[in-house]
Amino acid sequence: MELKIKKSDITGETVYYGTHSSGLGIYIIPKKDYSQNYAIFGTRYGSVDSKFVVPGETAPTEVPDGIAHYLEHKMFDQPDGSNVFDKFSRYGANANAFTSFNMTAYLFNATANIEENLSTLLDYVQSPYYTPETVQKEQGIIGQEINMYDDNGSWKVFFNFLGCLYNNHPVKKEIAGTIESISHITDDYLYKCYNTFYNLSNMAIVVVGDVNPDRILNVIENGIKKNEPFTEEIQKLYPDEPAKVANHYAEQKLSVAMPLFMMGFKDTDVGYGGKKLLKKNIEMNILLQMLFGKSSHFYRSLYEQGLITPSYAVDYTMQPDYGFTSIEGESNNPKQVYDMMLAEIDKVNKIGLDKDDFVRIKKVIWGRYIRTMNNVEDYGTMYIQLLFMGIDYLDYYDVYNEINFEDITKRFEQHFIRDNAALSVVWPIE
Amino acid sequence: MLETININKNIRLNYIPLKKLKTTVLSVYIHRSLNENDASMNALLPYVLKRSSKLCPDMESFSKYLEKLYGASLGCSVFKRGDDQIIYFDAETISDRYTPGNEPLLAKLTELILSILFEPSSDCFDAEIVAQEKNNAVNRINALVNDKRSYASIRCQEEMCSGETFAISKLGTIKGIQSVTPETLYDYYKSIITSSVIDFYVCGDADINSAADKIHEYTDKLAFTDASVTKTEILVKSNDVKRVTDRMDVTQGKLAIGFRTNITPDSKDYPALTVFNSVFGAGAHSKLFNNVREKLSLAYYASSQLERYKGLLIVNAGIEFKNFQQAYDESLAQLEEIRNGNISDLEFESSIKSIVNSYKSTYDDQRSLAIFSLGESIIGTNETIEDKIEKINKVTINQVAEIAKKLELDTVYFLDRKEEA
Repeated sequence: MELKIKKSDITGETVYYGTHSSGLGIYIIPKKDYSQNYAIFGTRYGSVDSKFVVPGETAPTEVPDGIAHYLEHKMFDQPDGSNVFDKFSRYGANANAFTSFNMTAYLFNATANIEENLSTLLDYVQSPYYTPETVQKEQGIIGQEINMYDDNGSWKVFFNFLGCLYNNHPVKKEIAGTIESISHITDDYLYKCYNTFYNLSNMAIVVVGDVNPDRILNVIENGIKKNEPFTEEIQKLYPDEPAKVANHYAEQKLSVAMPLFMMGFKDTDVGYGGKKLLKKNIEMNILLQMLFGKSSHFYRSLYEQGLITPSYAVDYTMQPDYGFTSIEGESNNPKQVYDMMLAEIDKVNKIGLDKDDFVRIKKVIWGRYIRTMNNVEDYGTMYIQLLFMGIDYLDYYDVYNEINFEDITKRFEQHFIRDNAALSVVWPIE
Repeated sequence: MLETININKNIRLNYIPLKKLKTTVLSVYIHRSLNENDASMNALLPYVLKRSSKLCPDMESFSKYLEKLYGASLGCSVFKRGDDQIIYFDAETISDRYTPGNEPLLAKLTELILSILFEPSSDCFDAEIVAQEKNNAVNRINALVNDKRSYASIRCQEEMCSGETFAISKLGTIKGIQSVTPETLYDYYKSIITSSVIDFYVCGDADINSAADKIHEYTDKLAFTDASVTKTEILVKSNDVKRVTDRMDVTQGKLAIGFRTNITPDSKDYPALTVFNSVFGAGAHSKLFNNVREKLSLAYYASSQLERYKGLLIVNAGIEFKNFQQAYDESLAQLEEIRNGNISDLEFESSIKSIVNSYKSTYDDQRSLAIFSLGESIIGTNETIEDKIEKINKVTINQVAEIAKKLELDTVYFLDRKEEA
């Protein structure tokens, strides 16, 4: 196959890309003079995908929660009894994998033997091997992973926040499932999920590093084991999610030093990907910085009153079918912080946004974009995540450029609505 | 590739050109000798200085200044390298060539950091700012408990070194922070700014001579007194093994086993110690990972880490409370395996490659390059990354087994749940 080339003069970045006849999307980003090479091989399959219709079938399949993550762990067992980590270690690579709400990805970084490591990556992700015994063995390890998260205040404050925002959408469920749900996972379920979601037409691979695209393409083509792309879409079934939030407040006690909070707004303008989603993302990030960033009146007054600590972050999380803005931090009075956030929204509704702020913050967002291309791992991971949302990262400059003050004002009015707000708090145990 | 300009007898400017990245990092390290009297002041000072410069005397002007530089960052913290407590400022900007008009971002960022260091806005710190930052400093100490994994490791090291300088926290103490006043902090600042070794590192795309000129502009008027970087003492102890249990409301137990390596970072044995640590517990190829986690399914993580400057090695694992003894026994059994030379070729080769890989990865990260170079300068070895790789490649399996024999078990720490099982 031939790869197409796309280049950005402003950033100096080039992407070689194409779709293999197996359906696999291939993206190669050369980074001259870099020591590290990074490859990430991902599937459009995450913790939210527990109910689906397999192409060619009519009845829906429902599987236990936590299975995408469980499957990720079990990919490391090989039919010949070997462990994948050994193969990567032999070639000096750092291998890992992760499962998020909407994707599962297998990756490595290495400063040598890129071709051997890439072959290993392609090979093991295409070699499922599950037996009742190996499935059983993982219960203990994942059980400890779940317990570890149960003690993690910032993890809990996040999921309790999602529990406020969402009535039915499975994004509110823990990625690893529960000790109970994973006890129902069997090798049959794992094969069923694997054969559905790990079809190459549901997957993509991104390689970033000082590489020769032709040679990388050659390794990938030689590593493809199955050329049977689905002709139909995998139907992912999600329950209906009403626009309104499930709750405005949730709390929990854990052994943390100071109350942790997460607050924000549910995004109700959802249901699309691509450039339109990218534009929304940039608008949201500009708005968040204007309203709640370090130079905002809101942040300064909280900080100077001692209501927040330097541990503070604002963020917009996006996917085509859900999204939310969030402010996260520590405070001895999270409810007051929440009231002040709502008051800030009311104030801006009355007096409007400041145009100087917009001009300044738009520059900040540009700096952020430039930084994302520094680190091969962050770059490759973000690239595949956006790809799965239908976004071509090299379109960024064009989309960014067209955003004006009116867009920001409209987005503010659409998103920052009292009824869509929620607060989650983790209190210290007395 | 490291270029060093001596600004005066205390201040060095180090430049590491690295144009393949799109950013430039400017960091400042002020070296102080770790001790109980000053630790809290050192932990508080950078946060107060950051808010007190003549150039940006309040939070609004500070944040807006950085935002106009396309969202440059300027943060601070404090850390320690053995008994060297280091006040740290870190600034980063996208390189000038990625702005529409090739704007001089780095020059402006350099001015801000110099104003913060050498040009406080008035003759004493603002009482409100000091009060707010004291609160934050106390919160940082209290927040250590939030991450149970690192908390267990810190507690283990504290217990191991109780009575030694190294046991003093980089964050100081709550009592120490509370006793600071704007006056005492300002006097302290005046006394240390001209009597400390200060390292500037610029890594990225910069005109280093104009940076040097700028530093001169801010410092030539000051009178500096002699200063040096503190060396860390490595004590060989032969006490009984110390056993410590803390209890908290937690779902998972955290085991931390502390060993003394009895090897200094400038020792010829150090490369073999690095390989030993990798075989033992640093990565998916290691014995702890493959036995404590994969074979016995006792933990999600089981690993070892070196404290290079003080000669410590800590094993960490997150486990079920009831599995404490089994996880402990297995960890020590794996150490015994290495002592007996039972290291497979795969374990050994993987360890060497993993270390080489992480050394080489440093070349793609500006902060890591600066920190590497700083570490070499503190220890006095001043080796390059290539020197390190060469030494790692020469280590033999026998040397690793010999190193393992030098390890002394010192402290067994367990973070347990509150009620008895």
